[in-house]
Amino acid sequence: MFRFLLRRFIFLLVTYIVATTVVFILPRAIPGNPLAQMLSSLSQVAQANPEAIRAAERTLMKEFGVDKPVLVQYGEFLLKALRGDLGTSISYYPRKVIDLIVPVIPWTLILLLPATLVAWILGNTLGALAAYRRNTWIDKGVLTSSLVVSQIPYYWLGMIFIFLFGVRLGWLPVQGAYSQGTIPSLSWGFFVDALKHYVMPFASIVISTMGGWAIGMRVMVVYELGSDYALFSEYLGMRDKRIFKYAFRNSLLPQITGLALNLGTVLGGALITEIVFNYPGTGFLLFKALTTLDYPMIQGIFVILIASVYLANFIVDFLYAWIDPRIRLGQEE
Amino acid sequence: MTMFSTMIRPLFKNKKFIIGISIFLLFLLLGILGPTFYKVDPTEMTWDYEQPPSVEHPLGTDTYGRDILAQLLHGIRSSLYIGFLAATISLVLGTIVGSLSAVKRGIVDDTLMAMTNIVLTTPSILIAILIASYLRIRSMEAVAVILGLFQWPWFARAIRAQLMSVTSREYVYLSIMAGYSDLRLVIEDLLPTIATYAFMSFVLFINGGIMGEAGLSLIGLGPTRGISLGLMLQWAVLMEAVRRGLWWWFIPPGVAIVAITASLMVVSTTMDEVFNPRLREE
Repeated sequence: MFRFLLRRFIFLLVTYIVATTVVFILPRAIPGNPLAQMLSSLSQVAQANPEAIRAAERTLMKEFGVDKPVLVQYGEFLLKALRGDLGTSISYYPRKVIDLIVPVIPWTLILLLPATLVAWILGNTLGALAAYRRNTWIDKGVLTSSLVVSQIPYYWLGMIFIFLFGVRLGWLPVQGAYSQGTIPSLSWGFFVDALKHYVMPFASIVISTMGGWAIGMRVMVVYELGSDYALFSEYLGMRDKRIFKYAFRNSLLPQITGLALNLGTVLGGALITEIVFNYPGTGFLLFKALTTLDYPMIQGIFVILIASVYLANFIVDFLYAWIDPRIRLGQEE
Repeated sequence: MTMFSTMIRPLFKNKKFIIGISIFLLFLLLGILGPTFYKVDPTEMTWDYEQPPSVEHPLGTDTYGRDILAQLLHGIRSSLYIGFLAATISLVLGTIVGSLSAVKRGIVDDTLMAMTNIVLTTPSILIAILIASYLRIRSMEAVAVILGLFQWPWFARAIRAQLMSVTSREYVYLSIMAGYSDLRLVIEDLLPTIATYAFMSFVLFINGGIMGEAGLSLIGLGPTRGISLGLMLQWAVLMEAVRRGLWWWFIPPGVAIVAITASLMVVSTTMDEVFNPRLREE
């Protein structure tokens, strides 16, 4: 088990280095000198104060290290990224990128983690149920609705929700993570307020990711129920429920791997959902950085998001190793 | 020809398949012929702004008085174009990487698979966002390339696994012993085993391209010229169409996206049910 995890860790570390290398190379490889673009966008942001522009210019030049050889720039970039120094924001000059990202991360996590888990559990349960009741109306209903629902972009479902429950019916607030004018605190009132804002973005992510899990789980359980051990148990006269339990447990393993592989896609969708809801998370910050061409911020958000996806991957690997007896007991890698 | 009819006929006995393929073909026709028959300029601004559907504008107008139906028809066309282009790129890349790995084995296989796993683990939409953010002008083709470049890994892995298992089967040995040329071997023995899988993957890649375009556009990194379904949604979000209750603006592009991608999903799953013996209904 330890060797399995070590191998996964090394793989993810290499992947992270490759990804950050891409982040480093892109602005230097794309024609049209992004540094000049950054400076021009800087002058748009801070028109009023030429002194500030010049100061920002110096910071940028220094951070990009354009006067040094490329390899030295690369080394410095990697070291800084590891230390969490992601440079200085342009649109919020002179604030550090990392100081701007850290406060928004919890909002994204609060939305993304529970939504992903709930969708995974509900979807797998529904999919397994459909496979167990194969060819009944339950199966057909689950399969057909999952096929359609899994293709609804989260953000569009969010728009429909805002329109229906926010605008038309007026049941829920239409934007943000809490009412304007309130300050986040640990009071009961704030909790209720935040919960009201939470329902719609949460539901749109859960509903549209659930379908995909259900489809996958259904196929997996159908495969398992058709395999030799399941047929043999049936001939032995084992109860259906018992066989189903074995099939279910065997089908869960690939779904856990699927969870790791899907995290990136779910994250991407959640970022856009945040934009639709004006929800103050990482996606919203990224959107603002993109509209002002704040490249240090875009890169910083990217480095952090990629790192978190890899970290989540590693956590899933750990779970996998812990759940799968073949890996836990070191019989198979 | 007999193989063709034995493969195709069971599909058309499947009700779900017929519904799925009809919806998809309908939208394909809307995209191809729609703009030719409905000759309203989707970019023409008029004083009838933010009008709900009427006889003059069947789907209403946006903030600049542009006709939504015209935008929708052009949007379907571009989104399908981007989807097909991205899917072709992914399919070609995946096939090259997967078959090279399976045929060459050894160090080529190791390197290609390491690369594949790295791309597989890295969230493609994030890289697409990063690359797109550096491009000041993004054509439809550029967006398709950015999206197509990163969705091939799982397909490459599947092709590799499939080819590896096929090349060790007896009939392939027999063909080699019979002195088949490499080309004949590939066309007669290897391609048919991956053809249905490749087709189903192509369908999913189209979906990936259409969804990816919509995602990139919403975040402000869609095509810089023209109209796509994603751009329509982005304009609607920017103009607060949702919170101002202008439903005719943001509902049609979403319905089109869901109808196209869901119908393709239905086509692909029913094909799997018909062709895959392990899933075939008893």
